[in-house]
Amino acid sequence: MPDEELLLKKARRKASPEGAVESGVWYPRWYWPSFAAPATIWIAILFVLAFYVVISVAFGTVDPLFRNPLPVYEPWWWSGATFSDVLSKFVGSDAFFLPAAMRTLIYVAAASVLCLVLGYGVAYYVSRYGGRRKGLFLVLLISPFWISYLMRVYAWQSLLTEDGFINDGLRFLHLIPHPVNWLDGRPTTVILGLVYGYIPYMILPIYGQLDRINQDLLEAGRDLGASPIQTFWRVTLPLSRQAILAGMVIVTLPMFGDYYTNDLLGSTKTAMYGNLIDTTINSPGHGPQAGSLVIILVVLLALPMAYYLRTTKRAVESA
Amino acid sequence: MTDANVDLRVVRRPGPAETPPRSVRTRRTTRWRKDPWRKPRLLGSLTWGYFAWSTLPVIIAVVFSFNNGRSRSSWQGFSMRWWTGDPYNSLFHDPALHDAIFQSLRLSGLTMLLAVPLGTAFAIGLDRWRGRAAAGANFTMLLSFVMPEIILGVALFLLFTNLFKNLVHLGTFAQILGLVTYQVSYPVIIVRARLLSIGKEYEEAAMDLGASPTQSVRRVLLPLLFPAIFASFALVFADSIDDFVTVRYLSSGANTEPLSVKIYSAARASPTPAVNAAATFLLASTLIAIILGIVVYRFVTRGQRSDMATKEFVHFQM
Amino acid sequence: MRQPNWMSRRQFMGRTGRAALALPCLPAILAACSKPGSVPTGTTPSVRFLARPDKPVSLPLRGQPIPTDTPIEKGATLFVYNWADYIWKKTISEFEQKFDCRVEYTSFTSLEEALQKITAGAIRPDVYFPGPSYIGRLVYQDMLQPLNHDLIPNMTQNVWTTFWDPGPWYDQGWRYSVPYTVLSTGVAYRRDRVSDEQAAAGGYDLLWDPAYNGKISYYDSMPDAIGMAILRNGGTDVNSGDPKTIDAARDAILELLTGLDGRLTYNGVYVKLPAGEFTVAQAWSGDTVAAQYYLPKGTGTDVLGYWHPQDRPGLVGNDIISIPTSAQSPRLAHEFINFLLDAKVGFENFAYWTGYMPPFTSIDPDKLVAQGVIPKSLSTSVVTQDMMEHGYQLAELSPAAEDLWTSAWDQIKAGA
Repeated sequence: MPDEELLLKKARRKASPEGAVESGVWYPRWYWPSFAAPATIWIAILFVLAFYVVISVAFGTVDPLFRNPLPVYEPWWWSGATFSDVLSKFVGSDAFFLPAAMRTLIYVAAASVLCLVLGYGVAYYVSRYGGRRKGLFLVLLISPFWISYLMRVYAWQSLLTEDGFINDGLRFLHLIPHPVNWLDGRPTTVILGLVYGYIPYMILPIYGQLDRINQDLLEAGRDLGASPIQTFWRVTLPLSRQAILAGMVIVTLPMFGDYYTNDLLGSTKTAMYGNLIDTTINSPGHGPQAGSLVIILVVLLALPMAYYLRTTKRAVESA
Repeated sequence: MTDANVDLRVVRRPGPAETPPRSVRTRRTTRWRKDPWRKPRLLGSLTWGYFAWSTLPVIIAVVFSFNNGRSRSSWQGFSMRWWTGDPYNSLFHDPALHDAIFQSLRLSGLTMLLAVPLGTAFAIGLDRWRGRAAAGANFTMLLSFVMPEIILGVALFLLFTNLFKNLVHLGTFAQILGLVTYQVSYPVIIVRARLLSIGKEYEEAAMDLGASPTQSVRRVLLPLLFPAIFASFALVFADSIDDFVTVRYLSSGANTEPLSVKIYSAARASPTPAVNAAATFLLASTLIAIILGIVVYRFVTRGQRSDMATKEFVHFQM
Repeated sequence: MRQPNWMSRRQFMGRTGRAALALPCLPAILAACSKPGSVPTGTTPSVRFLARPDKPVSLPLRGQPIPTDTPIEKGATLFVYNWADYIWKKTISEFEQKFDCRVEYTSFTSLEEALQKITAGAIRPDVYFPGPSYIGRLVYQDMLQPLNHDLIPNMTQNVWTTFWDPGPWYDQGWRYSVPYTVLSTGVAYRRDRVSDEQAAAGGYDLLWDPAYNGKISYYDSMPDAIGMAILRNGGTDVNSGDPKTIDAARDAILELLTGLDGRLTYNGVYVKLPAGEFTVAQAWSGDTVAAQYYLPKGTGTDVLGYWHPQDRPGLVGNDIISIPTSAQSPRLAHEFINFLLDAKVGFENFAYWTGYMPPFTSIDPDKLVAQGVIPKSLSTSVVTQDMMEHGYQLAELSPAAEDLWTSAWDQIKAGA
């Protein structure tokens, strides 16, 4: 009677792949999805739909007289004129967007590598040799998150002016004869600015992972005769691979869209891809061009993102 | 130290007038190099150098907000003119900066109140919901986390000026929508990490004891998630008060520009120490929010946990 | 071992089939959702003449000005959208006190950015300061409302006759605009590093002189930048649509920015030139005069110099004030315009803050130096009616020309 029915229901739920949570617990099928529904609808409207509008604007037209963007929502009427025009500015004969794109690639690569090398060193030291001061180190590591990126780069900009402390210090050490204008469009300044801004995002995941490495594993390696370098290379590094990957993704991908570092520390000579988008969106009549630039960037970034998501999924499943 | 490492030769301590012979000095360094548990000096100096590099510029910027002159780099004496003194340009008298402070607090407060519940609910639902739609939603959420912010800003700008042209006017409402969209993935990630470590036993136990699903979530799961939820509130607040990419595109005039956008515009033009003061103010409000979060968290969990509370709270920042 | 959510082929086919059926509905819904307002509603004539100084244009009356007996809005907030630092704060607070209102001052740093924001509906100001080259477009897009002349009596009392009878070349009969200031565009320089003779000999080439490598500033404004480059290259049509001219101008600017380490700024003249960061700069006359307020302590105003061609026409222009159709307080906006055109207010605004002269009959350009308003070394920055009549003025470009210009500007900003 009722009890038997309940038991039968439970058994059926256990057997079905969806809607069951674990053994023996009964939830209605709509229960958990209803938790996720508000955020899903939100993301669907304000993220996915927004991208569809970007595509519609990029493949739409421009009102010829007033140059307002006219988005075209039906795919069969999309015109690729502006998009191919923008592409030709990257790879064609008169490719004047190409230097900015190449520059972005170089700056991001250099900054990411520097972040990785420096960040790994700091994370390694803090996690293994922190000792009594670990609390203090932790606060110092996390504090950049609470200080806005803008303030840190702005503080850095104040130091780099011609009468700033950097020039004063370098002249004091007799490294330069007269003050150098660091802010007139030097790649070094921009790359170091990017490193300065993003390195905390690299250190924290690596620190988190290294902190969790069991000390016994390292001692085991040592007992088996490995030198410190070998222990690092063959034990520590492979164990921290996931964290390195996470750090690289969190650092590199946003860097591709960074335009404010160059705005504050560089000039048009060091313009990055983000500056192209920012300039375009602020000029009238440039809606489709801005849309095309955004689409190109998303497509280029989608591959590393998908790769990262697959590897995290596998790691989570194997954990 | 094993016998093999003990040096059998007599090592004299150098007297006041003599330096040790070269062989002894190199032997000391070689001994340091050979010691497998040595403290790495290179890495150590690198780390301390990094901390100095990381915090000193900010400290200097804060100090210069009290500068007596217009310069951000040459100290001309202590004064409060950029905070309260100057009747037109100081932080608390310039009506434009005044508005900006309120706008910053308004935006981050409302964003925090919207994003954290949305994200938490999503994380709880996603963790238990099996299916391809769940994987799709999960993927999109993570996508919004690693995406460069300018892409989201431009996309929302185009959305609000084309499709939703008559529904949503640019301004505070649009800025909040944009900020929540950008921030909602933070609570999701934090809460999911916590959920993974909690497991389902507690809820199952509650339901075996007769609780309904809603009751078990409300009275068992949510309290267990307190650390993560609090960390999310603090993180979302801190992150949105500093955001300037999205809100700049979605602003509609000086009265909807928060302090971060004002700092950005000023930094590109001709910043005075008033900008330093504004940035210091933002920094202070973030710190207060974090400290408040820790204090409230410790108070709420005072029965359960020991002084691991702060460390756990801090751990969620990662 | 297959993962649980791996798709089988049948599921894949089913899914794509359903998606293919569902997707076309989405765009149709979206297209229906976007209200007809997204397409411009204004009717445009089949031929629209582009205004030029020698071909004045009378803009059509679209809509009616507000009635003269509209009451002044009480306790309102007046939204002003203007260049950064372009009205004295004291002038604004005087207006706030006189009319018991609040003024919200939003600033832009380039005319293009302002146009973009206004046409996107992002900003709905009560008072807007565009340039003459955009007013035609704004009127045909129904973005500006006609002015009620009875509410702005100071116009006929104080302003140069040429601006209201018959009216300026871009807006005959001053239906939509009043002038705010007049200006010339030339080259500002530090007299302690460049002598007056060198400046007079160099002219525009002063900005391209390798001796000032790294200390050159140029305006981050497309019309001014390309316009001056055209003049430097020897052209005479600053609104040219000729690809060769534009390319040559673009190349000259690129050479300035990359070869000579120049910077694009919008406030380089009144902030950074006095500080010594720049030696030569493309400058509007008013910026150079305002620079005297940013000089460090102990430096006299004779360190500032300004060059503008004396024997031939140079770049001149004026800024205008208009009222958008989206204004919430149009009556108050009219009062604001009238207030700025008041002889005393306008003069003080100019003398104590902006440095840009308003075209008032009460101001005698020859006396400005004697009055101490303009430093002696900057006497060339004074703008006379004669200069305005004969100078080159930046005007609205044809769509084809604008395409070329924006393409060149894109390239310049991309740092190619």
